[in-house]
Amino acid sequence: MREKSSNRASLCTTALLLAALCSASPAIAQEMTTLLVDIHQGSPLSDQARALGDGGFELQNGSRVSFNKWYHANWVDMHVDLLTQITQDTGILWGFGTGEEGEKYRIAPSLKLGFLTQLHPSANSILSLSFTTTFGGKLSEKPCQADYGDLGSFSVNCRLAAGEMAPEETLKYLVNAKPESQHLWLNYRVTF
Amino acid sequence: MSRSRGTSAVVRPSSCLNRGKNMSNAHWKFAVAAALALLPASIAVAQEAGGLDPLSALCVNSQSNASICLSATLPAATSQTLQNWMSPDVGAAWRAGYKGQGVTITIVDDFSSTSKFSGNFGIGTQTQRHGEWTREEASMIAPLATIRSKDFSTSSSVALAPGLNVLNLSYGMYAKAGYSPSQIGWSAEEASIISYATKGTAVVSKAAGNDAVAVGGVTSGQQDYLDLALVGKASAIFVGALNSNGTTSNKASMAWYSNTAGSNTAVQSHFLVVGVTGDKTGLYGTSFAAPIISGYAAIVGSKFTKATPTQITNQLLNTARTDTLANYSASVYGKGEASLSRALAPLSIK
Repeated sequence: MREKSSNRASLCTTALLLAALCSASPAIAQEMTTLLVDIHQGSPLSDQARALGDGGFELQNGSRVSFNKWYHANWVDMHVDLLTQITQDTGILWGFGTGEEGEKYRIAPSLKLGFLTQLHPSANSILSLSFTTTFGGKLSEKPCQADYGDLGSFSVNCRLAAGEMAPEETLKYLVNAKPESQHLWLNYRVTF
Repeated sequence: MSRSRGTSAVVRPSSCLNRGKNMSNAHWKFAVAAALALLPASIAVAQEAGGLDPLSALCVNSQSNASICLSATLPAATSQTLQNWMSPDVGAAWRAGYKGQGVTITIVDDFSSTSKFSGNFGIGTQTQRHGEWTREEASMIAPLATIRSKDFSTSSSVALAPGLNVLNLSYGMYAKAGYSPSQIGWSAEEASIISYATKGTAVVSKAAGNDAVAVGGVTSGQQDYLDLALVGKASAIFVGALNSNGTTSNKASMAWYSNTAGSNTAVQSHFLVVGVTGDKTGLYGTSFAAPIISGYAAIVGSKFTKATPTQITNQLLNTARTDTLANYSASVYGKGEASLSRALAPLSIK
């Protein structure tokens, strides 16, 4: 988890530099250039999925079941954000997320779309406004099949299978989370 | 069948709180229902007269000779705190929020005699009747279960409530040894209990007894015929007492007074043990083992809401632990120490 966070930090720094370059270079805009704004692996939903893997319980025979194996993914959701400039002061923000999948959860691929515009209130200042919306990228937890011996076999929330909740009740607590779907960003920058 | 309500008889020197009543058949045999509690002599003599327990008074006899008991739940403030005499399993069970709701535990016991004794389940020293103690204990294990009280001196049949029923029997029916259970002319009360255990319509948690013999064994020429009548019944569980709640690193042993499973495999397969830590509560005896299993059954029943009493019974029996017991042997411990956490856990998951 820490490793992914540091990836995000370093790549975001790169993205900021690119964005600064973009705003400082009118020539680029005229050529409808597409720039890489950000690339990172992991997201709040990835972190949430990973957190589901904390804990475990004992089966009837005393053997330990760890949640970790169910909420581990070999590939962590990667997000790529791009900016296509359409005028000197406006551009389309777009991007995608690859999604990720573990044994008991899935983060769907996502698509990001939005715009960026900027004003120049004075010669040495820039007021920027961006808006993006994300489609897809939902985190869905999958149920388990639990065998309770004499009491039968049930579809259950894997994490709550050994709790006191009725097996069918546990399904209400399967995680279904949406990513941050809309993002509005306002920035005012003064150079002196 | 005749009944001698209020007759006292000393059945065992180690038992107190005896209620006399006749068991009869064509031969009119006499037996005594004895509450299965062990008390220090100093406490046993500290009995005092008192009125009928107000909750048991809610049970009245109908014309069909079946008792009707109104539900009575104990005050939550005194019954929803984890106590040090409880297995850690109970606390783990509570944390998920299910505490026996939707299940009815009927305590068949003494709620009307003048015999009272003192103890402390962690909520302050109290002096009360045997049935009031066992009722309190079951309600502390499964605080959201509906608790009913059925005075065993009424002898009317035990009525079942809608949903899962658990019957707690912290008493025995003693008579001269040598008869078979089929020769006994049971009262409507015990006949109904035996019928429920046979048909699997209620979980029957029966205190194993405090004579340090095998279930159904003879002591001073007498036998507990209620034990014998429940042997091999689908939803009956005999409950013995351990001197502590066992762990793998600190294994528990049978309490010195507790009856054991013995060599009868039909008893062994329906025999559980739980810790009765009298050093913490001042209360000893398998009387205080049975309500723990009653509470466990209610908690398991609150999870598996569609399970039958026989399924609940089997779940508790099949998930008992043997690795927490010193020198485990089926003839002593039966299936082993009841484990609430394992009874709630899957056998496998994928």
